[in-house]
Amino acid sequence: MSDFDSRRARLEPLFESARSLADASTPRGRLARERLVASSGLSAQGVDFALERCLEVAPDEPEIAALIRSTPTAQVAHVLLSANVFVAAHRAIAIALAASDQVRVRASRREPEMAELLLAGAPGSFQLVSELSPRSGDRLWAYGSDETMDEVAVTLPAGVALHAHGSGFGAAVLEGAHSDAELSALLTALAEDIALFDQRGCLSPRVVLVNAEREFASALARELAHELEKLEQRIPRGPLDAPELSEIAKYRDTAHFTGEVFEAGLGFVSLAHTGSWLLPPTGRNIHVLATPDPVATLSPYRPLLTSCAFAGEPARREALRRSIPGARVCRFGEMQRPPFDGPVDRRDL
Amino acid sequence: MTRNARSDGLHEDVRRFAAGAATRSFTDLALEIAAFQREFSPGFARLCASRGAALESVDDIPGVPCDAFRLARVALHPESEDRLRFLTSGTTSGARGLHAMRVTETYQELALNFGRAALLSNARAPYVVALAPLLDDPPSSSLGHMMAMFMVDFERRGQFDVRTAARWLIEERGVNLTGLEQAAARAHERGETLLVLATSFALVGVLDALEGRTLPLPPGTVVMQTGGFKGKTREIEPAELRAAMADRFGIGQAQIVSEYGMTELTSQLYEATVPGSALQRERHGTPGVYAEPPWLRVIPVDPATLEPVPTGEVGIARIVDLGNIDSAVAIQTQDRVRRVEGGIVLLGRAAGAPPRGCSLAIEEFLNSGLQ
Repeated sequence: MSDFDSRRARLEPLFESARSLADASTPRGRLARERLVASSGLSAQGVDFALERCLEVAPDEPEIAALIRSTPTAQVAHVLLSANVFVAAHRAIAIALAASDQVRVRASRREPEMAELLLAGAPGSFQLVSELSPRSGDRLWAYGSDETMDEVAVTLPAGVALHAHGSGFGAAVLEGAHSDAELSALLTALAEDIALFDQRGCLSPRVVLVNAEREFASALARELAHELEKLEQRIPRGPLDAPELSEIAKYRDTAHFTGEVFEAGLGFVSLAHTGSWLLPPTGRNIHVLATPDPVATLSPYRPLLTSCAFAGEPARREALRRSIPGARVCRFGEMQRPPFDGPVDRRDL
Repeated sequence: MTRNARSDGLHEDVRRFAAGAATRSFTDLALEIAAFQREFSPGFARLCASRGAALESVDDIPGVPCDAFRLARVALHPESEDRLRFLTSGTTSGARGLHAMRVTETYQELALNFGRAALLSNARAPYVVALAPLLDDPPSSSLGHMMAMFMVDFERRGQFDVRTAARWLIEERGVNLTGLEQAAARAHERGETLLVLATSFALVGVLDALEGRTLPLPPGTVVMQTGGFKGKTREIEPAELRAAMADRFGIGQAQIVSEYGMTELTSQLYEATVPGSALQRERHGTPGVYAEPPWLRVIPVDPATLEPVPTGEVGIARIVDLGNIDSAVAIQTQDRVRRVEGGIVLLGRAAGAPPRGCSLAIEEFLNSGLQ
């Protein structure tokens, strides 16, 4: 068996495990939903939606091949998982399995369930540990906040390669002319991108840039708020904690003062009347920014951008891609489902 | 009546109130200023509309979040009418907020009125120095401007140029300890007291520069400390800093008084501890309790609902400052406070929501300097 084939073979049990978790009709699928509601902070419908839409149960072979070829090998591959975007455990462990036949995973203390569920369906394919102890020659893939990445970086022994994937946010860019039907479909898709994981992931959009006058942006913000409200009826937002609610209260009042706020169920859509803007808090809240050149406006944020949905001319899409090389540029509605060809966040590459 | 005519009338009313010659109550004035701002500030009008409540009590006045000063102009008048522009420096973010003032007399009268009450303890005028960088021209720091006003007013010898190195004892290389020693010697020789106006991190700089030595200051000296550390130096607990300064300067701890102010405000709060001061005689303050001037009220509110919390419970400070006639009469801060007998206790800044997973926290976004 070639090296590639053996690496490919290590992934299959994990894919099988994920498939059984995604299927709500199986005992494992039902168990996953029960346990993830308790640990993720999402509503039951939110967990179900995330499993259905974002867990990669059937990655295609070219994507898998790209993942394997872009992953460096290691004696031992270590994985430090983040909380909240629980499906991310699947991709993170797959990358580690592509790197080594010895994979040690430390799950998030807040969300330990997904890694345990994956292991239960693929016993022996990796080890769940309470502490990671990488040695020289090993590789560590770490996911989480920048603060966590900094802590990891300073405590790592010499000779351990670190692949750090820290904090980030997503954006959406809307350019060009669209029919009412197209626009409606785009906003429906964007509302799903926003609602998934209640916006707690680094791929979640937090700002929409539109090259239009304020009146159009205002109408767009109103329509997006309507889409979010409709979606919330079907997929309720999970409970937020006190610091999150406090940030929302502060931001909401700031947004009222500096522009407009469109209520969107429990969340909102803000629109500034000035050029300055502030990243809205998570919890299904998004800011709409009218700007004559969204690509240029977004470019300075490239160190923080992980993902950007784009609708407009292909040439402009290419310009956007060049201006934010670390972010994945995709279609509306696909922000939370990047190709299974490596880490979701390409800023490390 | 025009906007400015109404504003001028309110300024006169507030100055009269501060001088103790009020014909109207705090509530009346606060509600009239809020109504005036709702009429001439579209942002404040939207904020009021979002609450959906009439402005019938002081508690109804929504606080303008401090972030708004960084994102938009919080002033009822155009830039061409600005007479003072103070910039915030409150975060590690590059973005700075602006508090523009059209009328400076009210700011001056309110700051001096309560500053005198809190800091002056005997009939003799003090010699005033600042442990702060030399004041820029025009002043962009509200604290620096206030310190300069105190120098001129408290020394009671008419106008003089305060922009001299002997007055401002923070230099590029750090604390000018020699300058402080010279100021102390001068005051000793002349039988004066000394008033040292200082930021907390400058006081830590003094402690470090003294390396354990003492620097006795004249009896009756008062040290006013203000502000946090903002990552500029090592942090020291307030009580520990107060005790250390009292020890090094050879003065009583009660003579070290903390001030609480913000660029976004016109007025200040002080601990009412300086022996013999008007504020101490009136309020009998204790260290750690900040007394409000009669024209300012702190309302602790719930961080999530922004509704007032029951007396004695911890909330974040909404500050209603009658001096903010042309900007925002109520400011919503993130400072945690609790009301106690004689004033409020400051409990530090409410932390932002910590990052959960890999979503970017707002604080990280601000600190990126990309706003």
